[in-house]
Amino acid sequence: MTVTGWNSELCLKCNICTAACPVAAVTDQFLGPKAAGPQAERFRHPRATVPDPSVSWCSGCGVCSRVCPHGVPVAELNILAKARLASQHPHPFRDQLLARPSLLAAVARPLAPLANALLGLSAARALAEAALGVSRHAPMPRFASATFRSSVPQLHARTPQPRSGRPLVAYFHGCSVDSYEPWLGRLTLQVLEAIGFDVVLPPQGCCGLPLQSNGLLEGARNYARTNLDGLGPFAAANVPIIGTSTSCTLALKHEYRAILGLAGETADQVAEGTYDLFEFLLEGDPSPLTRAALQSLPLRVLYHPPCQLQGHGIGWPALEALRRIPDLDLVLSESDCCGVAGTYGLKRERYDVARGVGEGLFDQVQSSGVDAVVTDSETCRWWVAGHAGVRAIHPVEILATAMGLPGASALAPSSIRGHEGPRP
Amino acid sequence: MTHLLVVGQGLAGLFAANLALRKGLRVTLISQGRGGLSLSPGCLDLGRTAASLPSQHPYRSAGLQNLPAAVDAFRELLLLEGIEFLGNPDVSMTLPTAAGRLRHTHLVPRSMALGHFDAEARMVIAGFDGFRDFDAGLVGDGIRRAGWPAQSISLPLPGEARRDLYSTDLARRFERAWTPEQLSSLWGPRLGKTALLGLPAVLGLDHAPETHLALERSLGVGIFEIPTLPPSVPGLRLERALRRRSLQGGGRLIEGPTVVGRVDGRSGGGRVLGVVAATSAGPRAFQADAVILATGGFLNGGLRADRAGRVADSVFDLPVEAASDRGEWLGDGCLGYHPYDLFGLRVNEHMQPIDRQGRVFFDNLFACGGVLGGADRRGEKSRQGIDLLTAYAAVHSVAP
Repeated sequence: MTVTGWNSELCLKCNICTAACPVAAVTDQFLGPKAAGPQAERFRHPRATVPDPSVSWCSGCGVCSRVCPHGVPVAELNILAKARLASQHPHPFRDQLLARPSLLAAVARPLAPLANALLGLSAARALAEAALGVSRHAPMPRFASATFRSSVPQLHARTPQPRSGRPLVAYFHGCSVDSYEPWLGRLTLQVLEAIGFDVVLPPQGCCGLPLQSNGLLEGARNYARTNLDGLGPFAAANVPIIGTSTSCTLALKHEYRAILGLAGETADQVAEGTYDLFEFLLEGDPSPLTRAALQSLPLRVLYHPPCQLQGHGIGWPALEALRRIPDLDLVLSESDCCGVAGTYGLKRERYDVARGVGEGLFDQVQSSGVDAVVTDSETCRWWVAGHAGVRAIHPVEILATAMGLPGASALAPSSIRGHEGPRP
Repeated sequence: MTHLLVVGQGLAGLFAANLALRKGLRVTLISQGRGGLSLSPGCLDLGRTAASLPSQHPYRSAGLQNLPAAVDAFRELLLLEGIEFLGNPDVSMTLPTAAGRLRHTHLVPRSMALGHFDAEARMVIAGFDGFRDFDAGLVGDGIRRAGWPAQSISLPLPGEARRDLYSTDLARRFERAWTPEQLSSLWGPRLGKTALLGLPAVLGLDHAPETHLALERSLGVGIFEIPTLPPSVPGLRLERALRRRSLQGGGRLIEGPTVVGRVDGRSGGGRVLGVVAATSAGPRAFQADAVILATGGFLNGGLRADRAGRVADSVFDLPVEAASDRGEWLGDGCLGYHPYDLFGLRVNEHMQPIDRQGRVFFDNLFACGGVLGGADRRGEKSRQGIDLLTAYAAVHSVAP
C-alpha cells in the first residue's frame, strides 16, 4: 500500500477508528484519528505547515488503520503528518537519543554496570527527566554486558549458503535482543534448530522504526537501506527472514515501503520474505510447530498482543502456539494497546497519557492473578512489567520451556531480569 | 476438527463465529477492519412479511421458521456477556430516535426498553450541554409530533473538555470517572418530579448495565437510552461483547488485511482451500476446510460494481445479477427504495452461493448477512433478522 493524500478520500467519516483509538479515549488533547487524519489531510498543503498540532498526540499504535473497514491508512497519514510537524522545529536531543537504541547501547555497554545502576537511581532519573525530558517513571531495560551477535560469531553470514541438508532461515534479532535481552536470541536459535532449521544471522542493524516514530525519516531511510542491502540476498534466495521483535518485523514488512517510501524489488522481496517467529512456526500444513513436542506447563499467564504485531495483519500467531501447550492457563488481554507505543510513553510530556492508555491492562493483569504477562514486543514487556509489577516475558520463553530446551525456564528469574521498574 | 474461516466482522460474521465455536469448530475470523455494528442502534429489526416473501429472499432460503431459534441463540449468547434483550419477535416496539423520528423495532437491549411508548409515558428527554451528537429538542419534537407528551431539557456534565466529546468519550466517563452521586447532585434540581428520563445512549461501555442501574437508583428515576449519531455505543457494546466472546471461546481473529481472493481449489474440485489476504508483508494464504462469507453489502465492501455495470462479491468475484444499464439501479428520492437494495448473492437452502441456474459455485463456501441479495432491508426493517437467521443457517450447514 502506498500512502498518498488520495487515500483519505476513501474515508466515509464513520468514526469506527475514533471509537477504537486508545489515545483519544484517555485524553481530549487528541482530536482522534479521523479528525486528525483523513479529515485534516485536506488542509495539509505539501508546502504549508501542518495546521493542527493535536496530531502530535498520536502514539502511532496503528489501531485506527487496522479497524478501518474502508482501507484508509489512518495511522500512516498521521505518522507522516507528525513527521512534518516535527520537522518544523529542531528535534529535541531526547528524541534523537531515544530514536537510536543501537547507538545508545553501544555507548552504554562498556559501562553497563554503571549505566544500569544509574537507571535504578531515582535521583539520576530525576536528573534525566529535567535535563532530557525522559519520564522518570517510565520503566527502562538494563543493558547487557555483551551483545547477542558477538556471542554467536559462527552464525554470521553474508550470503545464503546452505550449511547442512536442513532448510536455512535468517534471523533478524533487532536491537533489543542484541543489547538488552540476548537470552531471547539464544532461545530462538534453540527453538528453530530443535525444529529442524539451520539459522544464520545476516548483516543487519537497527530497523529504524524508533527514528521514524520520532519523525526522523531520513535517518530511518539510511538504516532501512543498510538492512535491505544485508537482507536482500537472503530474500532473493527465498530464505525466510524471521524476527522476534514485532516492531522490527513490521518495519521490514510494511513501514519501509508505506512510510519511508522505499520502493523496488529488494524492498518487496524482503517484505514478503519476512515472518514473525510464530507466524513462521504456524505457516503451512503441517506447520513446523507440529514437529515440536510440547510438554505440560502448568502456569497462568496473560497474553497481550502488541499493536505492532497487530499491524502485520496476521492475527496473534503466538497465542495460537500457546494454546497448544498442555495445561497452560491463558488469560487474554482486553486492551487494544499497553500505551507505550515504542518510545512515546518514555517522554515526559506523554507519560501520563501513555500510562492512562495502559491502566485497563495493568488492572486486568493485577486482578487476574497471573504468573507472568506474555507479549511479543520488548517495549510492551518493559512497560507492562514496570507498571503492573509482574514479570513480562516473550512467548518464545514459554515455548522453549514447553519444549524442554536446555536453559529455558519461563519461571527462571534470569528470563525477566531488569524489567521491574518503579511503580509510580 | 473442521476449520471454518469467517470473512467479515459485522453482526452476521461475529454471530456465525460464536455459533461455530459453540459447536466445537476451529474458527478463524478474518476481516478488513471492524464491521458496522458501531454505526447501528444496537436493536434487532426482525421485520417479516411471511406471506409475501419473494422467492429470492434470504428469509426464504434460510427458512423463516428458524428465526425464533436463531434469535434465541443470539439472546443466550449476549446474556452470557451481561447484555439482556427484551421484546417479542412477533410484536414491534416504537422508540424515539436521535434524528427526531420514531422507529419500529423488535428486540431492544434492556437499557432502551423503557423508551417504548405506551399510554402512561410522560417523558423528559435530556441532552448534554456541548454534546453535538444528540439534540434533545429534535428528539422531543419527534415524540410530540407523534402525539405523545415529552419535555426536552439539557443537562450539564462534570468537568470541562478541550474538544467536542464523542459518545464513546462520554460512555467511558460515565463508567469510570463520574459517580452517580456526583451526577444526581448536579442533575437533581433540574429533574424535579421526572419519573421517566430519556438520555443519549452513553451510559457505560463494558459495564453498561451496572452503570445504568446505579444512575437510576441515585436519581430515583427510570432511565432509557436513545442511540446517538455514530459511534453508537449500544452497537459498540454488542460488537465488543461478541468479539470478546469469540476470542475467549478459542477463536482466532485476524483484523486488518483485505481479503483479496481465494486459495485456488484446483486440486480439490469444487472446493475452496481458503482465502488470500493482503497482509502488511503482501498476500498470504489462510487455509480452511470451509468458508463463510459475511462481508456485507456495497457500503461494507462485500459487493462491488464497476463502471461497465458488472456487480460481484469482492472476495470470490462471484457474479451478482444486475441490470446492465446503471440508470436502472436507482429509484426516486435519496432515502427511498432503490433497485440496488436487492443486489447481492443468491444462495440455496444450505446458504451456498448459486448461479442463475441454481448451481453451487463451491461445495464448502457459504454466505450470510448483507452480502445476500433479494431483500429490501430498510423497507422491510429486516436487517438484523436476516443477519442472525442466515448466519445461523450457514453454521448449521457447516456443522449440522
